[in-house]
Amino acid sequence: MTALLTVENVTRRFGGVHALRDVALDVCEGETHAVIGPNGAGKSTLFKLIGGQLAATAGTIGYDGARVDRLPPHQRARRGIAIAFQDAPVFRGMTVAENAMVGAHAVTRAGPLAAILRSPRHRREELEIRAAAAEALKRVGLAGWADRPAEDLPLGQQRALQLARALCGRPRLLLLDEPASGLRGPERSALAELIEDLRGSGLSILLVEHDVGFVARLADRVTVLDLGRVIAHGTFARIRVDPAVIAAYLGGAE
Amino acid sequence: MKWIILVAAGVVPVLLTPGQLTVYVLLGLAAMAVVGLSLLMGYAGQVSLGQASFTAIGAYTAGLLAVHGIPPLLGLLAAPLGAALAAVVVGVPILRLRGHQLAFATLALQLILLSVLGGADWAGGAIGLQGLPYLSIFGFELNEDLEYAYLVLAGVVLTTLITALLVRSRVGRGLRALATAPVAAAASGVPVGAYRLLVFAVSAAFAGFAGGVYAFYVGYLAPGSFPVLLSIEYVVMAVVGGLGSISGALFGAALITLVVQLLTTLATRPGMPSYAPSVLSYAVYAVLLIVIVLFVPRGIVPTLRRRSP
Repeated sequence: MTALLTVENVTRRFGGVHALRDVALDVCEGETHAVIGPNGAGKSTLFKLIGGQLAATAGTIGYDGARVDRLPPHQRARRGIAIAFQDAPVFRGMTVAENAMVGAHAVTRAGPLAAILRSPRHRREELEIRAAAAEALKRVGLAGWADRPAEDLPLGQQRALQLARALCGRPRLLLLDEPASGLRGPERSALAELIEDLRGSGLSILLVEHDVGFVARLADRVTVLDLGRVIAHGTFARIRVDPAVIAAYLGGAE
Repeated sequence: MKWIILVAAGVVPVLLTPGQLTVYVLLGLAAMAVVGLSLLMGYAGQVSLGQASFTAIGAYTAGLLAVHGIPPLLGLLAAPLGAALAAVVVGVPILRLRGHQLAFATLALQLILLSVLGGADWAGGAIGLQGLPYLSIFGFELNEDLEYAYLVLAGVVLTTLITALLVRSRVGRGLRALATAPVAAAASGVPVGAYRLLVFAVSAAFAGFAGGVYAFYVGYLAPGSFPVLLSIEYVVMAVVGGLGSISGALFGAALITLVVQLLTTLATRPGMPSYAPSVLSYAVYAVLLIVIVLFVPRGIVPTLRRRSP
């Protein structure tokens, strides 16, 4: 399988502290790859480096055959990297459907002039965007909420809305930041089913997750971080018996 | 509802006295600038205390071109372009700022602009530009208040329409998204920096167009025509009417213009001290702003709309 995302020797320092040191991993086409590790392992730093919210101190990030580590976030989105954040607020003052529609920005182009003149492109894209949002909301189980203000959604549904927004950009690589945290049993298994379904449709997924059971069920491969370094990678069956991983979890915060 | 208002706004000018027509024109000019400010503050979440700088830039663009013999119509078209261009130039550095820092930066820009205009010989210094020609459109000279009233009405309709079309589009959704969650907006493909600049320029262009019309309507320009108080007035209009609502911007502009007019009439009565008009208008802005922020924080129009769907 060919690698869609390649992280090579990535280091990120905050002052004198290494949040990440020489981290490497890759996500293949159609693969679900999980990054796990105790608190402070550098998972969310890695996530932000790939999304473009943070810049790497050293190292490269390649995506689809080209370097993306210098690109601003919106250009990474245009290339097909979508993010469902853990804690990002929804877009307030907009409906649930409009929130999802924002995600389509990555795959549409109509500019301000097209909007003001209501050009054919604007009309065509609006129809596409509307259809994509309806489809994405249906997929994450929010179809019935479409016209409600997004800030009225309960937390679990706001998480689902993040996912719908990300899907609206028709990504090839989906970054999921602890999607299961704070979700209860049924919500959690619904989410797991959705992620399996997304993988089935050929999407590559990078999952940063705390919940080991969730990872065991979904991930093709797992990369384990501890104190900013990769301490193990491989299938879940392999890393769960890796002495370094066991030591990190037993000696760490958990 | 909007058609009733439009028809009323179209019929009213013929019924007004000359003095009232002046108020009508000034109201319309304020409305254009406030629609722009409401787009900037209400939809894109950027506060500006310097919106009148762009009115001034538009006015001086039109005025200077006219003084140098360029046909007024071209000057009028150049007014919004000049203001938008200025917004792009200053916007690149200052739009890195957020919230009250951006507000103060825009305020500072206006103070700098006023002091530059006041000291610049090419702009007539503190005396300004005098004896500007009337606007003429294809040989038809606009030399009556009534004609300016309709020109202004057309301008208000145009800016309102542009804003409405822009807000209900892909770009508009991007703007609204970046106002509340810029990180998630950028991750969705919204070019946050470019959009902030765009909305700043569009909002400046509206104010600039108002300035251009003002230049030909009044016939003279001075730095004193565009005080910081005018920028504050625009903000009060936008907030009172309701940010992020086009009808709110129009309503706010109308309400404040009429209230201020009423107070000016009151304050210039015989026996009132000479400083009464400015003291009263400052007081009114302050009181209105406090009352609205405390009791109707969403602004009048959005609040009414929510109560009676």
